[in-house]
Amino acid sequence: MARAGYNLRTNYLESNEVLRRPYQRLLVALILLAAVVLPMGSSNFFLHLMNLCFLAGIGALGLTILTGFCGQISLGHAAFLAVGAFTTVILTVHVGAPFLLVVPAAAIAGAMLGFLVGLPSLRFRGVYLAISTLAMHYAIIFLATSYQAKFAASASAGITIADPVIGPFVLRGDFAWYYFLLAFLAAVTIMCVNLSRTRPGRAWMAIRDRDIAAEALGINLARYKLLAFMTSSTLASISGSLLAYYSNVVTVEKYTLDLAIIYVAMIIVGGMGSVLGCLLGAIFITLLPYGIDNLFAYVPRNWRFGSTIFGVQVGAVGVCIILFLLFEPKGLAEIWHRIETYFDRWPFRYRPLDGIRR
Amino acid sequence: MEFAATVIILTCTYALLAAGIVILYKAGRVVNFAHGELAIVGGYVFYSSGLMINDSLWVAILGAIAFSVIMGIFIYMVMMRRLVGEPFYVAILVTVGIAIVLKSAIIVIWRAERVTIDVGVAPAIRLAGGATLSYMDIAGVLLTFAFFTGLYLFFRYTRLGVQFRGTAENPLLASQRGVNVNFVLSLAWIIATLAASLSGVLFGGRAFLSTESVTIGLAGLTAALVGGLDSLRGAVAGALIVAFAQYLTVRLIDPILSEAVPFMILLLVMIVRPWGLFGTMEELDRV
Repeated sequence: MARAGYNLRTNYLESNEVLRRPYQRLLVALILLAAVVLPMGSSNFFLHLMNLCFLAGIGALGLTILTGFCGQISLGHAAFLAVGAFTTVILTVHVGAPFLLVVPAAAIAGAMLGFLVGLPSLRFRGVYLAISTLAMHYAIIFLATSYQAKFAASASAGITIADPVIGPFVLRGDFAWYYFLLAFLAAVTIMCVNLSRTRPGRAWMAIRDRDIAAEALGINLARYKLLAFMTSSTLASISGSLLAYYSNVVTVEKYTLDLAIIYVAMIIVGGMGSVLGCLLGAIFITLLPYGIDNLFAYVPRNWRFGSTIFGVQVGAVGVCIILFLLFEPKGLAEIWHRIETYFDRWPFRYRPLDGIRR
Repeated sequence: MEFAATVIILTCTYALLAAGIVILYKAGRVVNFAHGELAIVGGYVFYSSGLMINDSLWVAILGAIAFSVIMGIFIYMVMMRRLVGEPFYVAILVTVGIAIVLKSAIIVIWRAERVTIDVGVAPAIRLAGGATLSYMDIAGVLLTFAFFTGLYLFFRYTRLGVQFRGTAENPLLASQRGVNVNFVLSLAWIIATLAASLSGVLFGGRAFLSTESVTIGLAGLTAALVGGLDSLRGAVAGALIVAFAQYLTVRLIDPILSEAVPFMILLLVMIVRPWGLFGTMEELDRV
């Protein structure tokens, strides 16, 4: 049966469909297949990069829920990651708790902290909320710094963490981590997609678009805002905990404001409020420094200082933020959407109507 | 006496930053998260342009002014101007992006070296108790006073100042009544970056410039918030409070905590009186 076009959704069931175009199922299946097959015969470095992308993806999905779905701007994401990492440190070093206990504990710690950081959102909107998350970031990082100064063997080296043990298996090496993180990321992605099309997700989007109208519709603002903060910080905390296990070392120096901004950059580059975009953005921003590293091979030798490369890597994130916000505010997701629309309409060349977006 | 000298210099540093943040907030409802970076890069430009032509102070001043003016116009005309009508967070995040780019500029251009500005550091006045005020400190304090007095007179008595206030109140209406809003807002950015550079120079003379010292932006933001994000008077009061608290903490409790003071005050203000000492409460509801 001919349909009016993929963007026109005429009933509730249709409005909840995720993969509407016939080829999308195929595409997702192909990507999954590629992701499963890819590690066979690829280098450890490539797997390492992919693992970093997956970890970033989990954290960025958390930020997508908060900023993309619920519209609450946060500069405190690095602090949430730090909470996960330091919960892991405390539980493994002082208590010796196993992996399967530590990660849920990190999630709970993250949720509790998310509740705390979310409290100002009941009072503030916009700019003031961003400033309050900034203050929270510094407060949490300050606590983490004090902890590290007290308990780390040496202040600069950080704290080492042993490889996680799940039952009889030891999660060691990039190959094993790859599959573990892939499965984890897939689960989190499905959770986020499902959240976005069920009650909490729709409530969040209503709050994002107009909080007063949302309240008039009967949405409990306080509850859903706090829920967004808690879900977001839980995911970030889990990501931080897994990263701690994966890299075997935790130092507070990693959790700077720049890291929080890098996560913001991921969702901007990917496209605010889009799960697909968030994953694309996470991959893009994670690989960006390595791409720049490679580009520097073509730069004259006397320009190639170590600090220059590092500086350019830092600056590139900022340039990406600015360029995407100015010229492609809906991010990579919108570019992908435009390509899809082009093929949907082919051979006709309609300009996409304003206001239609998936 | 040493106490008074330190607090006054710190107050000037923070007040200049806070004033810039307040001006930008009033002008376009943008909170500039790149203000600390602008200050420190301004300080670096002052230092380097001074070195370029046989240590000339005037070249250094000219360099810093040129940097501020160009930067201000560039940020407004190329970036901020396009963001009218976008959601509020876009402008904020663009300033965050600018902050990162400026920070990387410090790393790439100045190799993230620690730099102390050593122009006019000879002690000019010896105070009781062994404290000294250098020529630069005195010049900085005087310039800060001049800046605030000038700003007050400008907003109060000049035609452009009135246009400024009108634009802050309602840009659309102002532009319909013939105010060149683009000019006014560019000027706001120029004034703010100039103040930031001056503050960066002051800071660089007293302590040192490096990638870490961009955190003075946080102190400036705290000062602006303590005084009220939309109040210039408040900027000075807020700066005084932050400087005072920082000094007392370093003196009485622990020097390590000095970094922590701004955000602790920030948290306290957010809890107790988020609109600040002199700010208007209604600002909180504006998005």
